[in-house]
Formats: sequence, structure tokens, C-alpha cells
Amino acid sequence: MDFDLSPELEDYRKKVREFAIKEFREDIAQKHDLEEKYPDDLRLKALKNGIIDFTNPWKTMLGIEEMCRVDPGLGISATVPYFGAEILLLHGSDYLKEKYLSKVAAGQKIMGLGVTEPGGGSDVAGLKTNAKKEGNKYILNGSKMFITNGSIADFFVTLVRTADPNPPSKRHRGLSVLVVESVFKGFSSSQLKGKLGVRATNTAELVFNNVEIPEENLVGEEGKGFYYVMEFFNISRVFVAAQSLGIAQGALDMATEFLMEQEKNGISVSEELKFKLSEMATRTEAARLLMYKAASYLFNYKPNPTITSMAKGYASETAAFCAETAMEITGMTGLSTKLERFFRDSKIMEIWEGTSEVEKIVISRMILKGDGNE
Amino acid sequence: MNDQVQMLLDNVKQFCEQNIKDIALNIERTRIPDKIFTALREQGFIGANLPSSSGGADLDRASYDAILFQIAEYSPSVAYYVYMNNSIILPLLLKSGKKELAADIISGKERVGLSAGNILEGVGIKTTFQETAIFPSRLMISAGNDGSIVLLKGTFEESGRKSLGLRGLGIGIKSFSTEKTEEIGRKEDIEKIFVESSWEQAAIFLGLSQGAIEKAVEYTKVRKTFNFPLKDYSPVAFRLSELKSDLEMMKFYLFSEDGDREKGMMLKTRAADFSRKATKYALQYHGGYGYLEDFGVEKFYRDSVALNAVMFRTDVDRRILAESIYKSKTGYI
Repeated sequence: MDFDLSPELEDYRKKVREFAIKEFREDIAQKHDLEEKYPDDLRLKALKNGIIDFTNPWKTMLGIEEMCRVDPGLGISATVPYFGAEILLLHGSDYLKEKYLSKVAAGQKIMGLGVTEPGGGSDVAGLKTNAKKEGNKYILNGSKMFITNGSIADFFVTLVRTADPNPPSKRHRGLSVLVVESVFKGFSSSQLKGKLGVRATNTAELVFNNVEIPEENLVGEEGKGFYYVMEFFNISRVFVAAQSLGIAQGALDMATEFLMEQEKNGISVSEELKFKLSEMATRTEAARLLMYKAASYLFNYKPNPTITSMAKGYASETAAFCAETAMEITGMTGLSTKLERFFRDSKIMEIWEGTSEVEKIVISRMILKGDGNE
Repeated sequence: MNDQVQMLLDNVKQFCEQNIKDIALNIERTRIPDKIFTALREQGFIGANLPSSSGGADLDRASYDAILFQIAEYSPSVAYYVYMNNSIILPLLLKSGKKELAADIISGKERVGLSAGNILEGVGIKTTFQETAIFPSRLMISAGNDGSIVLLKGTFEESGRKSLGLRGLGIGIKSFSTEKTEEIGRKEDIEKIFVESSWEQAAIFLGLSQGAIEKAVEYTKVRKTFNFPLKDYSPVAFRLSELKSDLEMMKFYLFSEDGDREKGMMLKTRAADFSRKATKYALQYHGGYGYLEDFGVEKFYRDSVALNAVMFRTDVDRRILAESIYKSKTGYI
């Protein structure tokens, strides 16, 4: 069992870290946090500098971790324009890949994923947005909530109901995925302001009012949407674990720096505080190993939902734990430094892409079915 | 809890419903507005615990804590403002003979802020320094690097950075230019005040926790997922019930016990940890909506950590508690 990354990945990690330290300056991070403004220039810079590299998923994961380690809001912003791309990549027609995905990869377009609905949250199969087929198009009505890139994306990979569930108790049946462009008539979005954290990222509510979607914008097969989205979550949860790990590591970096400074200034640091630092470091390392294991399964085409949910759930709770503990260690000093932003940013990790509770449901369900582990 | 405390809790709740509830979000966005200062003064909350000879209302410990507890349920920033005036600033000024300034604070003519560190150099001369300040004002109480506590008059520069929490108090790193400084006490005085006001600090931690828990209980009654209200799910119902039980036990302790210093330290230590746990679960059970300030629960999550930073020195306060139990020097390694 080799725990070391390859020299190529180590070099890539260093390159991303250098980029993030250079570009994610504190004044820039503060400005976007305060103004709740998406940093489009950083997205383009990251692309131009080869920081975003989808040819190797290990690089994507490490890149997310390293960028979030420097600043979660900017780090997520730089990597999230491709959110939902895997659904198109795995199930989209050549036409859809060429028309939409190629432009995202070239930095010409931004995409988003429309799944969550107002009042829906974790209950994906309970969604109410519906698309009725009329001739060679779908007529879309409904709304989506908490959509990342909601008011900046050019198109959305959107989960909708195209048929009543049959039988009614199998609510996950009858769902399909459509590509909805933001310029389509009847589409509107409004940015959600006043978020606790990740305020550089754009989040919005989407409303579809009789939006006409060409039938060629159906992704994959009609009625398979739920499975596509669940498959996607198995992928994206590894990347959310990477976001979380970046936050945990960043908080650990700051707490370490603070205590080293204290000792340098002759201020005695108690074992109590050193133990807290040890616990942060241990949990971060454990989360990293769990994430690598989930990634290893996934990137070798044998995804393991149990390990993935463990990795996402544990890493997200580790992010919140480390940010909170770092705040405790730094006391008043931390209140007005970038650490407070990490604290605010960390909480969403336990909520998006499946709350901690949902991850626990997945884990326990798989274990009780007898396919919990290898 | 005696009838007097219960009646006070009811009255303060009514005050908060009328004066704070609808503007609680704005208080965090723009600092505490003047009309709140006026209302606090008119209600006699500033100086509530001080003797009538000093212009106070002479309330007992439990009654004073009831005020702080109840205000914190609506706005931890406003509760801390009352606490910092009544428990720190006014006692320091009165002890140093600054009766006029104390009277002006009680009557609302003057407001004074606090700065946290011990870095002010050159007490008695004009100087500039940068420090984390709570309620930055032209009059500040700060700590000198020679162990003195000083009252300073001067100016400060606003920075664009918001504090994690207690934003109604405008907490942040500010640059001060002093025009006049004078010693009003020694570091030991403020240390003593800080320890002796553990009950009050606990009251704020618990009031804030109640605000968060109540919101979560109400939300989980109406929010459905997978066709059932959240309250029907055992992890949610059991966790919130546990939090509510812990809160009620600590409230009972807060309002029933005598004002023993050691017991106050014990309660404060438990209440500080509890507030972080309670606000975290309260936000979590709101899901994505809890992440939006309009739902009013993320404020408690931020404020609990900010209050821990401002009122609970994780190393120092735990050591003081340990020393009061061991009755000797302890917990210093």
C-alpha cells in the first residue's frame, strides 16, 4: 500500500498551491466575500494557467483541496463552472457535448446543475418541476433553489419530472435530465444574498415559466434522470470532501501558525491547546485517507457509495470541527482575520451535496443491505 | 425560579418583541441603532445591577441575569452591550471615582467601548495603536502594556472587515489615535470583574442558545422531507430534545442558585460549550435555509463562537475553574 502521490501529482499540487497563494490574495478574498460577487477573472486565470485539469480526476481533486486551503470561496468559485459536467460527459449525446460541454472546457461558458427545489432539500425524488412533451419540445414549469452559478451560468443540467411515477410510491421513476439555457424564454433567476459563507460563489433561485426545451436537449434516456443524478453525487461527493479537506487543512495551518507565533513571543502554550491542535491534525489526516480511498474506487471505475458517503460526511464534519477549534485556539484574534471566513465557509460542507444526515442514511442502508464494505 | 424573576423574564420578553425582534437583522447589518439605546435606558436596563446610590436599579443577581438571558435570545449583540456596560465599564468607572461619566452612560449621554489587548504604550501621552475593539467609540477602555487599565479619548478608523459575530457591536481591528489617556485601574481589577461576572456571561450564552433551539424546534415542526416533518425523524427529535433538556437544567441552575463564584464559573464553562453545540445543530436542522441570514439562525451560530472568543478564554478560564476546585495552582502545563 503506497500512500505517496506520484511525482506528477506532487508537482501539480505544488503548482496549484503556488497559483492560489499568488492569486487568492486576502484583499481579493475579502472583497468578494463582502460584496458576494463571483470572481470570473480567477476562473479564466485558473483555466489559462492549466490549474483546472480534467484529464486526470486525481488532479481535479487535489486542485480543489489546495485552492480551498488558501481560500474556500475563491477556490470553489474557480472550480465550480463545470458543476454537473459529469452527467453530460457520461450520458449526453455527442451533439450536447459539442454544443455545451466543449464551450465550458474552453472557458467560454459556465454551467450549473439544477436539482434542489424550494422545500425539497435532500428529498430529490420529491421534486415538482415538470416538463411535458409537446411535439418536438418539452414545456418546463417549476423552480429550483440553492443553485450554484444560478445567476451566472449559461445553461443548467436540470432534473425534472417528465412522467408520473409508476407506481406512485416509486417517486424516483419518471424523472429526466434536460439542458436548459438561461436565455430560453420563460427562464429567470435571482441571486440569493446574505449567505453565511462561500459568498464568492453565486447561488440563486431559478424559475421556469413555460420554458420551451428542444427535445435534443434531453440527456440520455427519459425516466433515467434520478439514476444519473445519484451517480453524479457519487462523483461530486468526493470533490466536496476535497473542498472540506482544504478548509480543514487551511484552518489547521492558521492555528499552527498562531501557536508557533505565541511560542516565539515567549507565551507558554498549554498542553490543552496542543492537544486540540493534535486532534485537528489527526482528523484532517483521517479525512484525507478516507477521501483518497473513495477517490481510488471512483477513479478506477468501481465507485463505492458507502466509502464515498463516509468520506464526504467525515471530511465535512472535520472541516467544521477544525474551523471551530481554530477559532477557539486563536480567541479574539481570530474574530477579524481570514480564519473567521473559513469558519463561515465550513458549515455548508455539512449541508450541500447531501447533508451529514443523508450521508449517514446512505451508509447505514448499505451496511444493513450487506454491501457496506469490501 | 422565583416569581420576581419569572415576571421580569416575561416583561423583558415583551420588551424584546416590541423593540428588537423586527430589527434583529438590521442590528447585525448596521450596528445597534440609537432607538435601542434609548429603549434600554428608558427601561432601566443600563445600570440595572448597580446600587441606587450610583443611579442603578439595584437588581439582584438572578434578576439582572434574567434581563441578559432574555435579550440574548433576540440579540446577543444587545445583550453583550448591556453586560459590558453594567458589569465591566460602569464598575471600573465608579471604582476609579468617575461618577459623572458613569452617570452620563446610565442616562445615555455617553457611550464607551472596550479594546482587548495589552498593547497600548505610553499611558498619558498622545499615541496611536491598532487593536481589536468592541463597540469602538471616541471613549474607550483599554489595557496598557504596563498592567494599567486606561480610559482613552480619541478617534478611530473604521475598517471594511466585519467580525465573525456580534456585528451589532461593530467588533473589529481598529486604528486608534489617542488625545487623552488616564489610568482608571489595574489589570487585576478587570480580571476580578471578569471572573465575578461568570453568571452574567452564562446568562448570555444560554439566552443565545434558547434563541437558536426555539427556532429549530419550530422549523422542524413544519419542514417536511420525504413526506414527513423533520420532527418525526428520531435523530432530529432526540437531539433537539436533549438540547432543550440541557438548556432547561442550566436555566434552572442560573436562576435558582446563589451567586457563588465557583458555581458561576462552572455554569459559564458548560454554557459556553453548550452554546456552540446548540447553535450548530439548530443551523444544521434548517438545512440550506439556515445558511441564509433571513432565517435568523446563522446569526446565533456566528455569535456563539464570537461570544466564546470574547467571554470565554479557553485556557485561562478553565484554569481558574480548575484552581478553584483544587484550591491550588493547577493546569498550567
